[in-house]
Amino acid sequence: MMQALMGFLTVFSQPELLLLVGLGTFAGVYVGAIPGLSVTMAVSILISFTFSWDVYPAISLMIGIYMGGVYGGSRTAILLNIPGAPSAIATALDGYPMAKRGEAGTAIGVTTVMSFIGGFVGIAVLALAAPLVSDFALGFQPRDYMLLAVLGILLVGSLSQGSLVKGIFAGALGITIGAVGRDPLTFSERFTFDFQILEGGISFIAVMIGMFGVSEALQQLHNVDKAAVRQKIGRIVPSLGTVKKHLPLSLQTSAIGVTIGALPGTGGDIAALMAYDHAKRVTRNPERPFGEGAMEGLVAPETANNAAVGGAFIPMMTLGIPGDAVTAIMIGALFIHGLNPGPMLMIDQPDMFWFIVGALVTANCFMLLFGLTGIRLFTRIVEMPRSVLIPLIMLLSIVGAYAVNNSITDVYWMIGFGVFGYFMRHYGYPLGPVILGVILSRLLDDNWRRAIISEREDLGRFFEGVLTSPLSLVLFVSVVLIFVSQTPVWAKGKALLFSPKESAKQ
Amino acid sequence: MQHIETEHHDGTSDATPGGYGNRRRPGELAFGALMLAASLGLLWSAYGISGFEALSAPGTVPMATALVMVVTAAIVVAKTARLPLVPNETLARDIVPATVLVFIAFLIAYGLLLKPLGFIPTSALFLIAAVRILSRRNWTWTLLVSLGSLAVVWLVFRIVFTVLMPSGIVPEAEFIQVFRNLFNGGGA
Repeated sequence: MMQALMGFLTVFSQPELLLLVGLGTFAGVYVGAIPGLSVTMAVSILISFTFSWDVYPAISLMIGIYMGGVYGGSRTAILLNIPGAPSAIATALDGYPMAKRGEAGTAIGVTTVMSFIGGFVGIAVLALAAPLVSDFALGFQPRDYMLLAVLGILLVGSLSQGSLVKGIFAGALGITIGAVGRDPLTFSERFTFDFQILEGGISFIAVMIGMFGVSEALQQLHNVDKAAVRQKIGRIVPSLGTVKKHLPLSLQTSAIGVTIGALPGTGGDIAALMAYDHAKRVTRNPERPFGEGAMEGLVAPETANNAAVGGAFIPMMTLGIPGDAVTAIMIGALFIHGLNPGPMLMIDQPDMFWFIVGALVTANCFMLLFGLTGIRLFTRIVEMPRSVLIPLIMLLSIVGAYAVNNSITDVYWMIGFGVFGYFMRHYGYPLGPVILGVILSRLLDDNWRRAIISEREDLGRFFEGVLTSPLSLVLFVSVVLIFVSQTPVWAKGKALLFSPKESAKQ
Repeated sequence: MQHIETEHHDGTSDATPGGYGNRRRPGELAFGALMLAASLGLLWSAYGISGFEALSAPGTVPMATALVMVVTAAIVVAKTARLPLVPNETLARDIVPATVLVFIAFLIAYGLLLKPLGFIPTSALFLIAAVRILSRRNWTWTLLVSLGSLAVVWLVFRIVFTVLMPSGIVPEAEFIQVFRNLFNGGGA
């Protein structure tokens, strides 16, 4: 208990850490707000600059950027109708109509306060649930970890809005990339094609920066001529009455956010869209229709996407399975610092878990502070021309990829994966499963081999174990369900069950 | 869940990848075919690791994942081939316009020049060329913005984060030492 408290208070007791969380949150608000700069990209570039730091300062800065960045996207969504981040797509639907009525200040104020509430609910659930999940996870067998890794990769593919087949392809590609190099157990060469350069494997940081940084910068070249729109800002801090009125919806959508965030591979994007959909269904008499400036249309996605931040840390800290792309990168950061996220981390180093909770609380408070101030300065900064921004993103990506190992090879990998990721984006292949696959490749491979060796190489015994262990069975059924739920048979069955008349007509 | 139109056919989000559900973008079939060919190559390579030696052999998971890639890539190709092309889209305009090709070439050139020329000259060349092409502004503006940005990047990453980049033809370490001596001298 004392260790937990000490861990939680670390960030408050060291001015340097406090400053880094504040700096990260401030930068995150702007990174998230500038279209073309995503939080995932920023954190993936940042990891290479902070890997020589101590773990606490590095994590402080990343958490600040994450929390600020998830919120920051709403600003440009409201002011310019350009969601700065994917998690702000739904915010633009009602935020921009409000700005067009001259209510940009009110909209920004409400989104800030609701993001703050959502953020706190997410952190509270993380603090309460993670130790319980972690205790439970201690009973996991190697086959459960293997199934969990498969489930995580599949969930990313199925819950992202693209095709499941492309999602599975992307996940398998990620595992394959993660397998390149010498096998750590037998030292056999895997996918090296007799090139010495491939024996050490491919740096996952180079893959991440390429996929998220360079491909996004190349994508932004399509929008380079889009001009910025100037805005007027009015009253910002919302009244207590407004907050009270929307608190029930805010709490409901916080629950959606934290649940969706906790599912491996989902995160704020999907949480915000689902929360928006929920708000549309439960709000009986909005003051304005949805899509024309309904306050509920701002409250729901903004609460949910920030609640998803706390949620995303739950599987990351308890199982070593990232909740979303940013936590996938953070797992990488923890690995680099010699830490091994998972149930043992919670037991061996509970101070690290509580430090992360403390840093999230601090970042959430900074987000409220920066969210309600400096909006005029903000409107100037986001008007930075893309003609300068895009080359700078590319330059930072190169510096980031090189800095990890001082290796020019990593720069080539990064460029290669950047170009590849650009085509994947255009043709509907999700990028998240690739990164998740790379990260989880080792977990999957090691645990499969441990599991099958313990069953004396007998596949029948392995499946018997899966079917007789309740946990393995639940995980296995979940994997099967994800597959089945994406098939036409399932869609037909669902249609027959819920609207038999229409199905019969068809 | 009700579908919310986000117009993300270009895939600007991890959660909403691009493409169209019921139409084929220019080059999509070729990309799928390339993925299938690469997957087959990887499956062959994975088989070469340890064959069917044992279920716990080092090649088992690579073989399984490469097989998954082959199957899914084949499904994607078969599905894509049946779809009609998106009207009014061309490969050269909507997928790989000249600007994208130019920037890919710039990135490769940057990678090739980074070691021999060094970080500062290569980055200066890259930024000047990139900003000039994208902004279409005059040379004074281009040079001011590019070199100003480079100075900020260099100060932040080289001095604050102490990231070591190739110095190449610029005696960077000597410059930094001169400045350090100046400040030390000033402070003494």
